[in-house]
Amino acid sequence: MPSDLDNQIAQLLRCEPISEAQVKQLCLKAREILIEEGNVQVVDAPVTLCGDIHGQFWDMMELFKLGGFCPDTNYLFMGDFVDRGYYSVETFLLLLAYKVRYPDRITLIRGNHESRQITQVYGFYDECQRKYGSANVWRYCCEVFDYLALAAIVDGRVFCVHGGLSPNLSAIDQIRVIDRKQEVPHDGPMCDLLWSDPDDIQGWGLSPRGAGFLFGGDITKSFAHNNAIDLIARAHQLAMEGFKLMFDQSLVTVWSAPNYCYRCGNVASILELDEHLGQEYKVFRHAPSDVRSVPAKRPPAEYFL
Amino acid sequence: MFPPASARQDADAPIRATDSDASLARLSAVKKGYLTDPFIAHFVPRAQSQPSRPPLINIGTTIRSESIDDLVESWMKLCILEGLKCQIVSLGAGSDTRFWRIATGSHKDLVVKYIEADFAEVTAKKAMTVKKSSTLMASLGDPSTVIIGGGGTTLSSPVYNLLPADLRKPPAEGMQAVIELLDKDVPTLLLFECVLAYISPELSSALIKHFASYFRDSAPLAGIVYEMFGLEDSFGRVMKNNLKARHVDLQGVAPYNTKASLPQRFLSLEFTMAKALTLFEIRRQYLSEEKSKSMSQVEMLDEVEELDLVLSHYAITWGIKIPEGEKFKSYREAHSPWMNWELHTIGSSKSESIDSA
Repeated sequence: MPSDLDNQIAQLLRCEPISEAQVKQLCLKAREILIEEGNVQVVDAPVTLCGDIHGQFWDMMELFKLGGFCPDTNYLFMGDFVDRGYYSVETFLLLLAYKVRYPDRITLIRGNHESRQITQVYGFYDECQRKYGSANVWRYCCEVFDYLALAAIVDGRVFCVHGGLSPNLSAIDQIRVIDRKQEVPHDGPMCDLLWSDPDDIQGWGLSPRGAGFLFGGDITKSFAHNNAIDLIARAHQLAMEGFKLMFDQSLVTVWSAPNYCYRCGNVASILELDEHLGQEYKVFRHAPSDVRSVPAKRPPAEYFL
Repeated sequence: MFPPASARQDADAPIRATDSDASLARLSAVKKGYLTDPFIAHFVPRAQSQPSRPPLINIGTTIRSESIDDLVESWMKLCILEGLKCQIVSLGAGSDTRFWRIATGSHKDLVVKYIEADFAEVTAKKAMTVKKSSTLMASLGDPSTVIIGGGGTTLSSPVYNLLPADLRKPPAEGMQAVIELLDKDVPTLLLFECVLAYISPELSSALIKHFASYFRDSAPLAGIVYEMFGLEDSFGRVMKNNLKARHVDLQGVAPYNTKASLPQRFLSLEFTMAKALTLFEIRRQYLSEEKSKSMSQVEMLDEVEELDLVLSHYAITWGIKIPEGEKFKSYREAHSPWMNWELHTIGSSKSESIDSA
């Protein structure tokens, strides 16, 4: 007989939100699981890496159709589950329900949008208000955000993080001692992991985002060398072709939100790491509009008119 | 009883609605502190309670607005250098506040005619707003010279004139009322902010040509066009589809697939010079350090790539047609300020330098 949680997963898979009381319970259970995880969660290959989703629920269904559903496939989502898209609530709660139901088959790490401050600007707060009539669900989810791991490492060789590196962190072990259970700070190592970007520069640069840093190929390679890793996998930046390898393949950006914001016209990808950490990028397009990728009464896409 | 709206008018409602996008975006950028505009709140209903637009829209609106302001300002300074007055014609002006910003600025005596034309529904609303506001009326001169006419769709005053016009009519007909107000011998600037994209390339050429032939031998004619371009890539196809869903057809954009094609809009009509810059280029190359810094401090921008992608699909194109003949020979020389009408760095003291020249 299916459990309550299985019923909730089935409901969320139809893009139907669960009740506020169910969200509260789910978030409590999720926190119990996440609190046991390290700042740098250890993950075994094979695993499929996913980048930003941003509430594009029906596009995430395309991702699962391509990569396999949980728990058949082992997943690692590198943050930015919420904001921007129309279905942040359903997207995050489905991932969280999977996490509670199959804790060893899905890893969720924190993106810069898993933050109280950012979600109030970019849509998740408003969406919770709209769908539940109060900010309670937003509050429960934000409490879970504070427990999400900051990074993950696959078989000791692939370092996964939402944004990138920090001038204050030369060793992965230094990440393990951060007190992560807090709102994303405006600066410092925890902020940098979630906000930084690679760039074709030498050394470090100022980020145009106003948080985190830009880091060059030299920084990337010495970090990889010092920590004995082969690859840094990260998300955080739109890649029109779905992924972008940089610095002699020592870093990859994986982007999993096709036609981002229903405006950008890009394709998306997932990165499948096999048991030998062999890389296969699988590219996918956005869900056809006949499966309700955007609601009928949607706000118009934003342009300068 | 009101007569039933014609089918034509209903079909235009989506284009008219783009004006409220623009004014809400401008209001948002002003409220956030990106821009200064004491007048925009007068043109937006319930301005106090309007929600902010996303940072990307605020930033793009600011770059668009400051760049066009700079080009208009530097064009007015060209006229000052020659000891001339000027006229400005804004087609599809919507809720634009430029007239009031100029009328309360240092060049208020320079502009002898400022004409705005748009759909009658838009001008009627604007005429009413202006008439009701003592702040807006204060810039129009003696109240007894301000006349509302045309069933409430026109507002005339000594300088500022608001007229209904359908840009899709043959210009000899559609622009007649505008042309009648213009002095043939005064340099004139045409402004098209997100207007020509909505009409056919043939019509927009005919429109510019109509003004060009009116001023052919008598005075320089300048134009500034701001709109989207390069929509044959995947971003552009999505934009066209998204706007089609709002019943907005970007038929005017088709000939302009690259940045290099943009000045052709003017050069193919025998303009003497024309240039174009994308908003992406302006953000990268024309913002002063102070301006960049102050903009990045207003709110956290989460996606630079998306901003770059959007900004690289909008451009400002400007050009001047200088009359043939001996009188204007010096204007046409390669070093003349007219031939070197340029965008300045935004947010620096440099753009003020012509004042002291």
